[in-house]
Amino acid sequence: MAPSVKPISSPVPIEWYPTLAFFMLSIGLVVTAIFFIYEATSSRKNRSLAKELSTGAVASFFLGFGSLFLLLASGVYV
Amino acid sequence: MARMRFDLTLLLLFAFGSFLFFSAVSADLVISKLDRRIDLSSHIVRATTSLKVENNGAEAISEFLLPFPEHQAKNLALLTVIIVEGKGKSKVSSESLPVRIVNPKDSPPSLVWYSITLPKELGKGGSLNLEIKVALSNILRPFPEKITQADVQLIVFQDSAQVLSPYAVHMQSLTVKLPEPKVESYTKLENTKFSGSEIKYGPYENQPPFTYTPLAVHYVSNKPFVVARELVREIEISHWGNVQVTESYSLVHAGAVILGEFSRLEYQAQPHLRGASAFRHLIAKLPARAHSIYYRDDIGNISTSNVWGDSSMTLLQIEPRFPMFGGWKTTFTIGYGLPLKDFLFKSGGERFLNIPFGSPIDDLVIDNLTVKIVLPEGSKITSVSVPFSVKQSKQEKISHLDVVGRPVVVLEKTNVVPEHSQYFQVYYKFSNLSLLQEPLMLVFGYFLLFVACIAYVRADFTISKSSPSYLAKLQWDEVRSTIQQFEGVVNQCLIVHDKLQASLRDLSRTGDLQACKAARKTADSTLKELLKDLKPLISFLQSSPQAAQILPKVEELVAKEKELQEKIMQKHSIVVESYDKKSGIKDTENRVTALEQKIVLLRQEVDDLVDTIDEI
Repeated sequence: MAPSVKPISSPVPIEWYPTLAFFMLSIGLVVTAIFFIYEATSSRKNRSLAKELSTGAVASFFLGFGSLFLLLASGVYV
Repeated sequence: MARMRFDLTLLLLFAFGSFLFFSAVSADLVISKLDRRIDLSSHIVRATTSLKVENNGAEAISEFLLPFPEHQAKNLALLTVIIVEGKGKSKVSSESLPVRIVNPKDSPPSLVWYSITLPKELGKGGSLNLEIKVALSNILRPFPEKITQADVQLIVFQDSAQVLSPYAVHMQSLTVKLPEPKVESYTKLENTKFSGSEIKYGPYENQPPFTYTPLAVHYVSNKPFVVARELVREIEISHWGNVQVTESYSLVHAGAVILGEFSRLEYQAQPHLRGASAFRHLIAKLPARAHSIYYRDDIGNISTSNVWGDSSMTLLQIEPRFPMFGGWKTTFTIGYGLPLKDFLFKSGGERFLNIPFGSPIDDLVIDNLTVKIVLPEGSKITSVSVPFSVKQSKQEKISHLDVVGRPVVVLEKTNVVPEHSQYFQVYYKFSNLSLLQEPLMLVFGYFLLFVACIAYVRADFTISKSSPSYLAKLQWDEVRSTIQQFEGVVNQCLIVHDKLQASLRDLSRTGDLQACKAARKTADSTLKELLKDLKPLISFLQSSPQAAQILPKVEELVAKEKELQEKIMQKHSIVVESYDKKSGIKDTENRVTALEQKIVLLRQEVDDLVDTIDEI
């Protein structure tokens, strides 16, 4: 009647960490570039707050997860 | 030597005294056969006693008393008692019996009594086979206490030839196993035999309780006397896939202290003659699949180490910065990472960590061991189960990406020997969602950066809002935004042109005239609308003084675009007409080619103008 004992491992396979870090960070940096290009080329009248916030949100999501996987891939198990 | 004699007289005195006190109580149990084996091959004295106890009295007995002299009890690291049934191949051992310290009322002084609770009462006339394992640390004394570099280390071991017991023993024998097949001197009692590397005392028959015949063995032992004065083991769990173990050692060579100077030249020339008592290497048995192993101290990394790994364990051999002679100390830190699935398990609703307690270094005595288990943030510790007694407490630790801190379970124990390297468990609760807290914190941090950027771009920090340069800048901004809108409109016109061209190509492929005419209609209407949008933009540009440079280009672009539009419409009508009339392909081709060339040229000019306007 002993309850089953199962080993726990990480939610994402450890071998994927470097690849995930690289791709998420690169996508995040591309979206950051889009954000800053929009900021630089748009004029005061034409700027749309919704577009800025959405681009910023997508960029920060990818950058956040990318830097987490970068930390994990380099051995700092946070 | 004087101290030795004092110990002996004291023991002999109370041995006789206690016999009088305990004869009544212990007349029931009798030990019929006792076989003691003391292993002196390392600096931890391990004594294994197998005995057969019989109940000759009328009552059933449920506990077995085991006394130890005080100086031995102080250094008693481990005491396990098991019941053995059967002999040879069919030997069955029970689990370790519970042992506790008792204080009988009329016990002679300087004796510590351990009481072993038997699982089943030993009835009248019954007999039981017990096996008692004792590990004593720090009990061997180097004699002489100070030696030079060239001397060998001589150790004195003192004990009794008969086991100290409150019960009468019918037959007993003692075997002392030495590390090397030679001995400096040993007490010669009756029935003593020295052969190979073993000294046999016995068999002694019909000894009354509390017989104590002191003996001393003086022998050569060059095994490393490694004692860790303090060891702190920190086990940090990360649910992202790693158990990180960091151990900081403070080691000392607890054998004979070195006298005089240490000559490196002599040591390196003849290490076995000039430095037999020192040790160079330490071997640590780490669990299998240990990775990222490091070995460093306060100065930095120590490179004299080796790792061999296989599927059952990882062997780490480390060499301190200098050979360890008697009395010398060294401190270092070892760290390694372990895969999560070997040590962390889920059972019921809880998770638990199953990891060995003691140090992985071979044959190490630890005076003060502190094991800290750091659990991830957001976990709630429910219980800790350790197979022996430890002192528990709780702490908090702030580590990577922490907001409130991680809960830490601190287990402390003194006098730890390698037999204590058993698995222990820490049970806690943790929900998988808490794992997301770390990446979400990072995402939020980056989002704050972007919000700061947006706020900065939108903020207006000019001090004087009516200076001419500020007003000129404002006007230029407006012109720029109008030009962007204008460019948008022009691009839309160009898209409509492309659609028309595409519809012509479709016509040549499919021959669907109706679709072509419909496309023409929609194109016409869209172009009319775009033209209407264009009018207010151009009027604004004409009115603003800043746009003076751009205005001619803009007007040129508008004119060219109009021309292009006309030409494309012409071409379209011609092709549709010829289809209607069903004239030959060659005919249409001839009429269209000239137009086509002009269209291409115009298109190019329009594109160039758009680019130049863009660059401004």
